[in-house]
Amino acid sequence: MELYSHTWLPFIYLYGLGGILFIFGIYITIKAGSFDLQRRTHKKWMWILLFGFVWYLMMHALMTWAALGIISVYTVPIVLLGMAVVFIVLALLSKKTKT
Amino acid sequence: MQTFHNIGTSTDWIVMVVYFIVIMLFGSYFGRYTKNTSDFFFGGRRFSWWLITMSIVATGVGSHSFVKYSAKGFEHGISSSMTYLNDWFFIPFFMFGWLPIIVYSKVRSIPEYFEKRFSPSARFLATILLLLYMIGYIGIGFLTLGKAVIPMLPEAFTLFGMTVPITLMGAIIVIAIITGIYITFGGQTAVIFTDLLQGFILLFAGLLLFFFGITYLGGFDIFWNLLPMEWKLPLADFNQPSNFNFVGIFWQDAIAGSIGFLFMNQGLIMRFMACKNVNEGRKAAAINILFVLPISAIVVGNAGWVGKAISVKSPHIVSPSVSPDQIFVVVANIIASPGMFGFIMAALTAALMSTVDTLINATAAIFINDVYRPVKQFLKSMAVSEIERDKKELLAARYASIGVTALGVLAVLAFKNFPTVYEAHGFFHSTLTPPLVVGIFLGVFWKRFTPSAVITTFVGGVALMILGARYPGIFIAPFDHGIEMNQAHPYSYIRALYNTFVCVGVAVIVTITTQWQVKIISIIRNGKNSKMIMNTITALAIAFFVVVLMNISDLYMQCLSATAVLIFIPLLVTYFVKYDEITNTNGLTAGSINVARKLFKGAAPNDQEGQKVLVHFKQVDGDDTVVHFSTEDMILMKANPGDLVYLSDKRKWMGGLKSIHSVFGKPHDEKGKVYITSSQIKHGLFVKEKLLTAEKEM
Repeated sequence: MELYSHTWLPFIYLYGLGGILFIFGIYITIKAGSFDLQRRTHKKWMWILLFGFVWYLMMHALMTWAALGIISVYTVPIVLLGMAVVFIVLALLSKKTKT
Repeated sequence: MQTFHNIGTSTDWIVMVVYFIVIMLFGSYFGRYTKNTSDFFFGGRRFSWWLITMSIVATGVGSHSFVKYSAKGFEHGISSSMTYLNDWFFIPFFMFGWLPIIVYSKVRSIPEYFEKRFSPSARFLATILLLLYMIGYIGIGFLTLGKAVIPMLPEAFTLFGMTVPITLMGAIIVIAIITGIYITFGGQTAVIFTDLLQGFILLFAGLLLFFFGITYLGGFDIFWNLLPMEWKLPLADFNQPSNFNFVGIFWQDAIAGSIGFLFMNQGLIMRFMACKNVNEGRKAAAINILFVLPISAIVVGNAGWVGKAISVKSPHIVSPSVSPDQIFVVVANIIASPGMFGFIMAALTAALMSTVDTLINATAAIFINDVYRPVKQFLKSMAVSEIERDKKELLAARYASIGVTALGVLAVLAFKNFPTVYEAHGFFHSTLTPPLVVGIFLGVFWKRFTPSAVITTFVGGVALMILGARYPGIFIAPFDHGIEMNQAHPYSYIRALYNTFVCVGVAVIVTITTQWQVKIISIIRNGKNSKMIMNTITALAIAFFVVVLMNISDLYMQCLSATAVLIFIPLLVTYFVKYDEITNTNGLTAGSINVARKLFKGAAPNDQEGQKVLVHFKQVDGDDTVVHFSTEDMILMKANPGDLVYLSDKRKWMGGLKSIHSVFGKPHDEKGKVYITSSQIKHGLFVKEKLLTAEKEM
């Protein structure tokens, strides 16, 4: 139980409350019209915002697993780099398709 | 606690002095691009995202310094990185709320936004709070700088036969003089370029130190296995110990700190305003938070982690009782060779200086915009010509930089008694950011938020915050999430939750009771003695605030006084302040960004996506406010006369240093040519025969 307060409890608090704020931020800017998903550049930003959230969530989850010895510490940078590469490749492919 | 002096060799000192001379010469070179106050403060709104991203590194890393994160890394392990990895939650608010508003509304400082959005009185209070915040931040920067260099200095030196002790304050004063000289003559362009160089050096030096540390220990696996399991976890324990716990730091840093840093740190805001357009600012923010901050977390904390591993393996080399604020210097000295240690120390101190430079420049900007200009306008002593006025303001800005530096040194006194710089910074953020953060945030995202509400938040919210600080066991304890109260420094971090809660509470209650305030004031106005009643209410509000501020009477009386302040201030503001919701929110809230864009351009924006074109320039006589392209080029750019254009040197590595913003004039028939005037060529620093890139802005 003590370990829980040092591992998953802060994680849940961070991404639970942080996630609510993050989604509220997207919702309120869309509702206000300043974040306009009809515009191509804004649509691209939406994907980047979602990627960023998942990127950080994965970073903390992987680091916690590595600290607990569930996965190797070397898995952390490999998975994160993999995520970034896949995201960039997908972004470039979608750009190519559109042009 | 073990403390150190005289660390390092003469080779290290030589390397440090050479480093500083090179950096100052580099900054001075770019200081020549400072021609007016716009350049001095905003770098002329012309830079590319990558340049701003790297220059933010030095500012961010400097402020969240090597010293304090190494200290927490040594005490608690990898979780020292958590403050660098929790900034993404507010990025949608920043990218699509605050950033476009500050750019398109053309505000030069945050208090100016408060005047446009609310009233001059709101601006006045915001100026006071912001100056306190900025000067406090400078004080933290100087304190960290002092703590970083003290271990390298002897305990005393002899001058003309007299033994002069080297004290923390003495070291800080010398550092402040060097910093003040540099910023006073450089300005924002110099700061941006110096920070660009230092951003690269910092990341390199920090990663180099990690490499040396791992090598010293015998490899990464040995380092990792030496760390106790708790030291490897990325987040701190939920609510203990009181000086480093997750939930307190979440509210202090992820909430108050992140909004404070992104929304009200004038230094950072000015960096984003130096970007060539809003989208470049978004790119700079995204790349910085997504990729640069995680690297920076390793860069600033690794000395503490390596120090912990060495203290487990060889406690006779690094004792577990080393003063945490000195661990960075101690570890760097052990694992780096002479000369290399000097280089790392130079990078560290230069990074901290970058932060302080930026803050001094930003505080001077606030002084000019929100104190100097309004006072000059009030005295009606504006100079006749714009050039003359700008010259005077530039001089005043340089003097303001000197004054701000001196106040920053004095601010150190308020923080130097905290056990570590980290706790001093945490306490500072928790205490000073909530009222302004709430004011800005609700101002941007809630159209109904009124001047009464924002001013009551600044005054009444502060009164409740004072009560919380004075009686933490009563007011803050219900919010403590089980954190034990440290009697010496009670609730350094979680007080941010209480402070934010009371400020939001005041703001919301005053806003939703606006109709009641209007009704009461109309009754008073219709009465015979309205002036006398309002003067009495003013006197009572001041008296009640003083009761809270000066700790007069008991807790019960102070609570009553704070309540009276919360009732009287909205009435006073409703009576005295003129406010029109439509005029005061148009272009200044997230819901009216398209209006802001229209006001920025002076006409409806043209959002058709065109191409960039390459052109040579041709000097012509004529109007300095427009540039002329060929009809064919304008079709490619999908531009019409009156649209805004950004013209820059084609060489991307210059990052927009040589560029101008202008307006499309009537087209001509010479394809591949842009007609511009001599003054535009001079302002854009364009070189003959060099190609220019032109792109339509809106």
